[in-house]
Amino acid sequence: MDNKKKEKIFTIALVGNPNSGKTVIFNNLTGSRQHVGNWPGVTVEKKEGKLFYRKRIINVIDLPGIYSLNAQSEDEKVARDYLVFNKPDVVVNIIDSSNLERNLYLTTMLLEMGMNVVIALNMYDECNARKIKIDIKKLTDILRIPVVPTIATKKIGMKELISKIYEVMLNPSKCNLEIKYKSEIESDLDFMENMIKDYLTDSVDYPARWIALKLIEGEPELVKQIVKSLPEIITNKRKEIINNIENSSGEDVYVLISESRYDFIKNIIRDVIIHDNEESVTSVSDKIDRIVTNKFLGIPIFLIIMFGIFAITFKLGDPLKGWIEVFFEWLSKIASAGLTNLGAPGLLISLITKGIIGGLGSVLVFLPNIFLLFLAISLLEDSGYMARAAYVIDRFMHLFGLHGKAFIPLLIGFGCNVPAVMATRTLDNKKDRLITILINPLMSCSARLPVYILFTGVFFKKSQSLIVFSLYILGILLAIIMAFILNRFIYKGEEESFFIMELPPYRVPTIKEHFNSYVGKRQCLY
Amino acid sequence: MSKSDFLNLALEDYLKAMLNIYDSEKIIKVSEIAKKLNISKASVTQTIAKLKKLGFVNQESYGPVTLTFTGMETAKRIRDKNKLIKKFLTEILDVDDKIAERDACLIEHVLSITTINKMYEFLKKIEKLNDENYFGKINIDAKEEEIMETIKVKTLKELGKGHKGKIIKVAAKSAIKKRFLEMGVTNGSEIEITGIAPLGDPIEVLIRGYKLSLRKSEAADIFVEEINK
Repeated sequence: MDNKKKEKIFTIALVGNPNSGKTVIFNNLTGSRQHVGNWPGVTVEKKEGKLFYRKRIINVIDLPGIYSLNAQSEDEKVARDYLVFNKPDVVVNIIDSSNLERNLYLTTMLLEMGMNVVIALNMYDECNARKIKIDIKKLTDILRIPVVPTIATKKIGMKELISKIYEVMLNPSKCNLEIKYKSEIESDLDFMENMIKDYLTDSVDYPARWIALKLIEGEPELVKQIVKSLPEIITNKRKEIINNIENSSGEDVYVLISESRYDFIKNIIRDVIIHDNEESVTSVSDKIDRIVTNKFLGIPIFLIIMFGIFAITFKLGDPLKGWIEVFFEWLSKIASAGLTNLGAPGLLISLITKGIIGGLGSVLVFLPNIFLLFLAISLLEDSGYMARAAYVIDRFMHLFGLHGKAFIPLLIGFGCNVPAVMATRTLDNKKDRLITILINPLMSCSARLPVYILFTGVFFKKSQSLIVFSLYILGILLAIIMAFILNRFIYKGEEESFFIMELPPYRVPTIKEHFNSYVGKRQCLY
Repeated sequence: MSKSDFLNLALEDYLKAMLNIYDSEKIIKVSEIAKKLNISKASVTQTIAKLKKLGFVNQESYGPVTLTFTGMETAKRIRDKNKLIKKFLTEILDVDDKIAERDACLIEHVLSITTINKMYEFLKKIEKLNDENYFGKINIDAKEEEIMETIKVKTLKELGKGHKGKIIKVAAKSAIKKRFLEMGVTNGSEIEITGIAPLGDPIEVLIRGYKLSLRKSEAADIFVEEINK
């Protein structure tokens, strides 16, 4: 048995809210041994890496930042499905300590699933700044899982975290913390749990209570994927229970379940947070926000920063782009000369110089712009400003049926549409993202300007500049119309678009972290 | 009772007006409500939407309004509350009829059910009350108290910067409701409006110790009871 354990390659998954420092912890655990790809069938990034510890290789997978395992958005679905069907050996739940209450919601859902959880209480230094003290021992006792305070950006607590992960990995404890739900639900839940124990024998891998919960919460499809078929007696009882609860309480079952989880969390918070002076401390973040989202300064600051991003991407990137073009031309010439000398047939020379080298060159030539743009965007995201940018400009964007976060991709589109479309990954909602991508080409990119100038020079010599300007405007107007049409008619049925978005505290982004992730991201492009 | 008597017509006044129209005409038209309350049809339509979400009325698109069972019961109790106060003023305090009418309309918004029951009992004791007219003693039932309290709510959109409220109901569509739930926006939680974007929308709120931003159209689905700081 021991030999088998030594052979087995364990997998751990990182789960946590966005802005909780998950990426930094992932980088700390895996260093440069990471690989960025895509989850099949969806537009969600997949990050995997390897951790070496005590002569073992441990697979580390970084699941997308999520607020719950509801499986509503693509991110949530990817994370939830991975946890249910791939069953990682350990789940590392990364929590923003200064925001314990909301972060614990995800934790409760992980515990419901019966996962082996280790909590990384990250950004622990911010607690002191906010005058919040967390009783870690008490939290550990209540949740019955290890809780490790960490400050990932300073690499503090990482050793303890890895050692606790290792412990749990080799000795998975069935803690099975049972959350008590509201009285309207508890007795029915118990009944359903017992029914499942009696009637479903092929679901021993999952806690019966969790399966019962999923059935009542309104996720029978998920359960069907696990057990293949539900006996009629269970589906009937399920409908009966849901009807009873909804009629007597006047509320949907999933709402009552959510509220129960928050009640559970409130009790924990009461016992575990010793000092909470959120009233008296006006944090640094608030002070910055007073300026940045100020009625008068807000938009000017926003425009300056947007211009800055545009400038970094193109003013810095274009010279580098030029070098790459020159390099590939040179390579092409050398190859051509060399192959001709060797007496290669014309078709082969053409294939290599224009096809392979030329093709590779025309893709790689975008690399500097994309790299710089992504660097700029991720600095904005990590500092916390990106959320404010979307917040400030959303009203304007929403007039056209777009999301505040669509501003940057559309702006960049005036420089070059390729990095612009890639920049739409900041949009969380699939519908918003699709529409922004589709209208992006209507933003006249810089490569078209010479063409505009050429044609207007011939056909509209008199009012050349006016016509060129109106071509840009025409593009924008068409984009607005198309956005409207796509929103109203074509993508009507897609997941509802909303703005509801967290404004995370401002933080200092570390440049080192970015280079690590960007090496990874560059790999993923190609 | 005209609009000039107080600044905001409470939802109670709408229910009362609708019940009166129902009694005399059976069909409750938006235009009739507007006429009775002396306000624009647009204001009525907005409030009807609110009442619909709270479960007091039903309305087929742009058709006549109907009171639901809850709406009917609540409206009757409100009317009786008004009648009771007026009776107390005229019979016990000997207030002039017209003045009593106006005062009753104002007082009914602020008096608690406990006090109203005491009035009822007092009037009954000195035999100034004919039972057949009244809907019965207003029972201090938890759910009813809730319903009565619910009528003094605002939506988060109307709450205003710097104001705090306790969430009473999240009446959004299920996809958005789930988003609200996972962000901690649930019944019973405290929420405070801490800022508004430079262009007037979205708004920034403080909830469960962190900052959340949402559009006013999304905030319109959240009903809160204002708390004084």
